[in-house]
Amino acid sequence: MIYPQFDPTLSQRRTFLKQGGLSLGALALGSLLKEDQLRADVPKGKPSKPGFAGLPHFPPKVKRVIFLCMAGGPSHLETFDYKPKLEELDGKPFPASLTKGQPIAQLQGAALKCQRPLTKFKKYGKNGQVISDYLPWTAKLADDICIVRSMVTEQINHDPAHTFMNTGTAISGRPSMGSWINYGLGTENSNLPGFVVMTSVGGRNPQPIASRQWDSGFLPSQYQGVEFNSSGEPVYYVKNPKGVSDSQQKNLVNFVNKLSAHQNKKFLNPEIDARISAYETAFKMQASVPELMDLSDEPQDMLDFYGAKPGDGSFASNCLLARRLAERGVRFIHLYHRGWDHHGGLEKYMKICCGLTDRPTYALLTDLKRRGMLKDTLVIWGGEFGRTPMFQGKGGAGRDHHIKGFSMWLAGGGIQGGTTYGATDELGYNSVDNIMHVRDLHATMLHLLGIDHNRFSVKFQGLDMRLTGVEGAEVAHGVLS
Amino acid sequence: MLGAQKVSSTLKNSKFISRWEFFTIVGIIFSISHLDAPAAFGDEAPLSYNHDIRPILSDKCFFCHGPDEKHRKRKLRLDDEASAKKKVIIPGDPKKSKFIRLLKTDDEDDIMPPLESGKTLTPKEIALLERWVKEGANYEPYWAYVPPKKHTPPKVKKTNWPLNFIDHFLLDRMEKKGFQPNPEADKRTLIRRLYFDFLGLPPKYEDVEKFVNDSDPKAYEAVVDRLLESQHFGERMAVYWLDLVRYADTVGYHGDQDHSISPYRDYVIKAFNKNIPFDQFTREQLAGDLLPNPTLDQKVATGYNRLLQTSHEGGVQPKEYIAIYQADRVRNVSQVWMGATLGCAQCHDHKYDPLSLKDFYSMGAFFADVDEEQHFKVGTNALPTRRPPEITIYSPEDQKLIENYDKKIAALQGSLKKQKGKDEATKKNIAKLQKLLKEQQGLKKKVVARGRKTMITVSKKTPRTVRVLPRGNWLDDSGPIVQPQVPITLGKIEKEGRATRLDLADWLTDPKDGVGLLTARVFANRFWYMFYGEGLSRSLDDFGGQGEPPVAPKLLDRLAIEFIENGWDVKKLVKTLVMSRAYRQSSVAQAELVQLDPYNRYFTRNIPSRLPAEFIRDNLLAASGLLVSEVGGKSIKPYQPAGYYKHLNFPTRKYRSDTDERQWKRGVYMHWQRQFLHPMLKVFDAPNREECTAKRARSNTPLAALVSLNAEVSIEAARVFAQLTLNQAGKSIEERLSYMTRRAIQRDMDATEKKIALEFIQQVIESYKKKPESAKELIEIGNAPVDKKLDPVELAIWTQVARGIFNLPEMTLRN
Repeated sequence: MIYPQFDPTLSQRRTFLKQGGLSLGALALGSLLKEDQLRADVPKGKPSKPGFAGLPHFPPKVKRVIFLCMAGGPSHLETFDYKPKLEELDGKPFPASLTKGQPIAQLQGAALKCQRPLTKFKKYGKNGQVISDYLPWTAKLADDICIVRSMVTEQINHDPAHTFMNTGTAISGRPSMGSWINYGLGTENSNLPGFVVMTSVGGRNPQPIASRQWDSGFLPSQYQGVEFNSSGEPVYYVKNPKGVSDSQQKNLVNFVNKLSAHQNKKFLNPEIDARISAYETAFKMQASVPELMDLSDEPQDMLDFYGAKPGDGSFASNCLLARRLAERGVRFIHLYHRGWDHHGGLEKYMKICCGLTDRPTYALLTDLKRRGMLKDTLVIWGGEFGRTPMFQGKGGAGRDHHIKGFSMWLAGGGIQGGTTYGATDELGYNSVDNIMHVRDLHATMLHLLGIDHNRFSVKFQGLDMRLTGVEGAEVAHGVLS
Repeated sequence: MLGAQKVSSTLKNSKFISRWEFFTIVGIIFSISHLDAPAAFGDEAPLSYNHDIRPILSDKCFFCHGPDEKHRKRKLRLDDEASAKKKVIIPGDPKKSKFIRLLKTDDEDDIMPPLESGKTLTPKEIALLERWVKEGANYEPYWAYVPPKKHTPPKVKKTNWPLNFIDHFLLDRMEKKGFQPNPEADKRTLIRRLYFDFLGLPPKYEDVEKFVNDSDPKAYEAVVDRLLESQHFGERMAVYWLDLVRYADTVGYHGDQDHSISPYRDYVIKAFNKNIPFDQFTREQLAGDLLPNPTLDQKVATGYNRLLQTSHEGGVQPKEYIAIYQADRVRNVSQVWMGATLGCAQCHDHKYDPLSLKDFYSMGAFFADVDEEQHFKVGTNALPTRRPPEITIYSPEDQKLIENYDKKIAALQGSLKKQKGKDEATKKNIAKLQKLLKEQQGLKKKVVARGRKTMITVSKKTPRTVRVLPRGNWLDDSGPIVQPQVPITLGKIEKEGRATRLDLADWLTDPKDGVGLLTARVFANRFWYMFYGEGLSRSLDDFGGQGEPPVAPKLLDRLAIEFIENGWDVKKLVKTLVMSRAYRQSSVAQAELVQLDPYNRYFTRNIPSRLPAEFIRDNLLAASGLLVSEVGGKSIKPYQPAGYYKHLNFPTRKYRSDTDERQWKRGVYMHWQRQFLHPMLKVFDAPNREECTAKRARSNTPLAALVSLNAEVSIEAARVFAQLTLNQAGKSIEERLSYMTRRAIQRDMDATEKKIALEFIQQVIESYKKKPESAKELIEIGNAPVDKKLDPVELAIWTQVARGIFNLPEMTLRN
């Protein structure tokens, strides 16, 4: 029997099967392979084997995902989930019946008091979506976005909560969603990675973000997220060494590949074939990445529209770059903005964080829409968790981490814009209606990409590993158009 | 063939197998020899349950009809012979067996596995199951729980081929299949293979030449013996071990601060070099602190229990993290020593293996005495952070110095006390003594500063109470309290009072009253993997039901038994592995075997493999002459792109690469930042060591090519290599080229290669002659001093040639 556990030989097997065993030539070329062609050979209709074969399972609604991660955990109670009851109970003890036996982060042992919403809300769009004053630009998107008010996660500290949001578990070593999706669907541009991560900072006490968040876990490493920097070297080692010109570098790569090919006439080692390809692509990346990151071909009014200044490393620049990445066929684009950990000084820091992210977010969606790209893009906005309805006061009123109910929004292809999905209780503590667990979000995302999450699994340590785990997950049909 | 009688008596004599019997199987009639002749390879032999049937059942059926009681459907267990035969299997009669009927039915409501499970059986799998039922549906105890036996090597036709028992077992399989072994690799390839496998370093060209020209039949063995004595052997083995035990220099969670642990890494290197028996190595790491009068090394070894990821983040609830740490340890200890995925039983009974929720927490209880809660309070955002209990260790020289200072200080203090009176002379004397004292204290302080802290295990007087956590939920205190105990199907530690980590270590390595035989097999397979490129069983970390049964199981058994009989002697086992003829085969696949045996499961060739990340670095440094081969010491910080740690906080991090010669120490000493592993390590598939890694991926990505092409260390090494070449080699291009290839890849180029190379060199010469100013930029990269005597343009030209050579496949591949 062919041993099914996932290991690097899997891609070898794929190639092997495709080429009828005549050549093992393209071992581990991974995303460089024209995967869709390979898949065309897989018979349709029958339930496919778990894993990459036979993907997509059904016609996808979107081609790519842009995930706008508001790292630190924005307050749902000051963005999308207005709770008048909290106004009424402001400063009063928080009902112990809700908090008893529940996980709690920094407020351990403290007296728990209600904290009123620290801003005003208004209704926007055709359906009167309720959005706070902190987000005037997002408010203009009211008819495009589906607000989810009933998110639930399982991890109450930043690092594990991000891991949970990205991989569906807090256990290290599992692939993040961007890796899963690229592994499943392949990439449209072999000169760029299929999974790109960019970060920006601004707000209160930026929490660390580990590279684990874009790791490919037990999937082959070519599916890992690659960090692009909008300031400094765009990708590590993508520039020639000082004193080496492009043509010198090209001669060098040619020399290496000619000798590799010559040698491999003797060894017939598929690894060497793969290596030759990797060197070719690396050289192409040395041109394509700087071209992509260079905003000089964007007109000034476009830069102004986003609020981007080339090279400033801001969320605005990253949003503009996200659009350029999307145009070039990158499948999963993950932006992190670090600064949303508002244990105190919430009003001040909400102004800063929203000031840095609100308008660029509007610009990105609008730009995608104008270019006709929003309809095949899924945009997701949200943090790793929400914040407590209870007061915390690390330097002025703020809120602690909260996992039982928080808000996110979705927009783009297949999403029912102008709607609100789910609800928390009257204090904004527990999600009570149409609860969307992180795993349900994953299932829904995969669904839009044409993937049945139950049938997309990879063997690891003897188990059928899925992004959505073993506990069960549901596609949230209520958010779909 | 072993008769059923003999098998059952073997089973009775083994303590843990009686548990296994208790668990699933009563009365076994079968032949273990099936294991070596699975019917998939020949139609006439009866099918083997373990090899042919169990993998199908495990993958497709056990999820609902297996060990997990809660998830079991219709009370049917297909892993349990009695249950299966009572309910759905009629031995010998597939037609009447409901089991087969439901696999083949057209009725979508009845078909097994159910459609919604997403699992389907292929026609070939159904045919195998049908045939198995027809043949009597014979079960076997699960191979990984059957203790290995010392099988006699089979007779082979080609009697002059085998050199040791390994060859008998492998050739027997090849002959039965009609395969031919590969001829021996050429001697250059062979000695390079030995060097990389034993040391992770290349041989010198002179060593290769000497070996190639040595006609003494003992020459090969002499190289093996020499390499086993090298101090770099321990470094090479440590790279593998440190992956298993998830050694890293940082805490992993949240702020990912540095923690103090590098002496543990040095302990591992030393242990392999000193060839500490593996059972002792196990005891020292799990329970060195519980040994009588533990030595300093044994205390350092207990750092093993502290290698896990930790956090002192403000919002951490200690109770939650204690549960997380416990689960982490259970996962690691079971994967490392047992090749078991006991971690899967954290929330529910294991789906595929006889491991229960209670087993998981009972295993966790062994570690309930590990003193570690202090860090929730005293952990700081300094670098390194605090993770008590820690001790400080010194080099032997420093240790002596400190003792001397202490003596002097004590003497001076004694003299000071004796000074009485207030006269001028006494005052003068006191002042003099105080000055001396201060001097000595200052000197001591300097030496003390050179010490290295390291986390150790200290046993708390009162261990934490450990409960079964229902569904793994740490907030739920309703589960029963458990005591330290091993998984019940594998045995039991009989002891008055609480079993300790030392008892666990003993149990893991005791071939009679514990699972030592199974442990030996897990490691025999891993050592095999290290030298043969792939395991006999490819699941190096899962010998459970979902893992792959080994090819040549009798060979694996024999290796395990010899390992124990030789007193867990790692070097001896390693030597046995490489003294075979099989190891020495060429790695070039025979054309027809590429199709017939694409994964080399018959070991008709050695498997070429890309070097681990650390050795790719070492290889460059060795060729250039930059390599600093000092063994042990603080973790080193090689060049790294600016801003690479910009996402870290608490504290924010500024990476300062080493400016002294530590810059050029071996990869095994590189600072291991879990959240942002050095990019060079990462692109070449080194794991971030959050969890146990028994097998690294071997990828070939454009990002890795970018590192090889452009990273600072590659450029610096190329330039230093060029300096060496210009100073040592002759004046002609040919002489210089030959010097370089001999040193870097231990050979001369053939005519075609030379032609390509000379064309390239001409291009390089012309390009730099046109732009002499860029030559200067290139040669100034890196800390290593630039040889000012050399012409910058010439140096740049040969730096560029060296870059070319450093990017050849042979620099990263071991054939």
